[in-house]
Amino acid sequence: MRTEQEAEHAIELYADMIRRICLLHLKNHEDTEDVLQEVLLKYILRSDVFASAEHEKAWFIRVTLNSCKDLLKSLFRKRTVPLELLAEESASVLPENLEVIEAVLALPERYKLVIYLHYYEGYTAKEIGKLLNKKENTIYSLLSRGREQLKLELGGDSIEE
Amino acid sequence: MKNKIRDAFLQIHATEQMKTHVYSRLMQQMEHNKRNRAPLRSLAAAFVLLFLCIGSSFYLWAAPVSYVSIDLNPSIELTLNRFNYVTHAESKNQDGAILLSTIHLAGKSYIKAVELLIESEPMQSYLSKDAALTFTVASPRAEEILAELKTYTASTPYYDTCVQTDMATAQAAHHCGVSIGKYQIYLSLIEHNPSFTLEECEAMSMHQLRELLYKYERSSGVITEPEDDYQQGHHGGHHGHH
Repeated sequence: MRTEQEAEHAIELYADMIRRICLLHLKNHEDTEDVLQEVLLKYILRSDVFASAEHEKAWFIRVTLNSCKDLLKSLFRKRTVPLELLAEESASVLPENLEVIEAVLALPERYKLVIYLHYYEGYTAKEIGKLLNKKENTIYSLLSRGREQLKLELGGDSIEE
Repeated sequence: MKNKIRDAFLQIHATEQMKTHVYSRLMQQMEHNKRNRAPLRSLAAAFVLLFLCIGSSFYLWAAPVSYVSIDLNPSIELTLNRFNYVTHAESKNQDGAILLSTIHLAGKSYIKAVELLIESEPMQSYLSKDAALTFTVASPRAEEILAELKTYTASTPYYDTCVQTDMATAQAAHHCGVSIGKYQIYLSLIEHNPSFTLEECEAMSMHQLRELLYKYERSSGVITEPEDDYQQGHHGGHHGHH
């Protein structure tokens, strides 16, 4: 089991990332907090050592995704735009950025995550493929289609290739 | 260069209130775990001593309780005892035999055994060409084993292809001399094509078998999702047949 200091460090390092991934998949703050706790608890209770910081980060991304999937499977959820989830952000986020976030959240499930991992976390298609256990070509295809939909929504010059 | 997505998501944070709340719940949970461990450790030590004293420790150690089938193109089956340690590792095909000749798994925890298998050079070579690795667990504790497999570092990328089956299916697979994982997918395939044989199944890799099942399910209307959503692991939800 990891120490309290390691728990605190993990929260500081990964809470924001977990929050962002939850924003893509979940519909309210309570579920986000549940996933945050579950992921961090799994981390603390594990004793295996990560080969590198990148390895550790990739673990957090995968476990967060798995926790979101488990939560969605266990409860009935309406697949609507998560207005409640954005309510907190709308006070602190600039309107033009809120528009972008809403556009990403409105994408079909299969595009949202790859768009986030590529454009925010900076992963290449190959790295995303490895992370999500999908073929690299599939990721390129998902990125391309996601980008096209975002361009239609936000305008052609808002997203770099 | 424009990256409005990055600029937008940079403004999304876990609030201090959320972090504080989660931290406090984590500390409570850690405290609870620490308190539970001490008596459990003493109990475990007394239990082990009891086994040694009454002389039946070997049987209790060796008695098979669970099976974990690991299939890619190599097929390997781990037999676990009640403590989730590997008592026997068996190859189910030639590729599996080659793989097992390079690693010793008996006596290790199943998680360590899985890590050694996945990270071995031969397996990494197979995975670089075909990532359809499937874990099939037959056990009274299948949920516990699957939960750990899904979060363990080496095996968590294969979350969607960790599945469970029942002991009856495992026994049927043993009777036929086929890996549990392949036998399970064989049962799904013959529902669509009764003329599909076990020999044909054995000759195919898990990737080929899953592609074939996908093709049958798509043509029978079971699947309607776009192909790229179904590339990996959707078949992972099948349970054993009775």
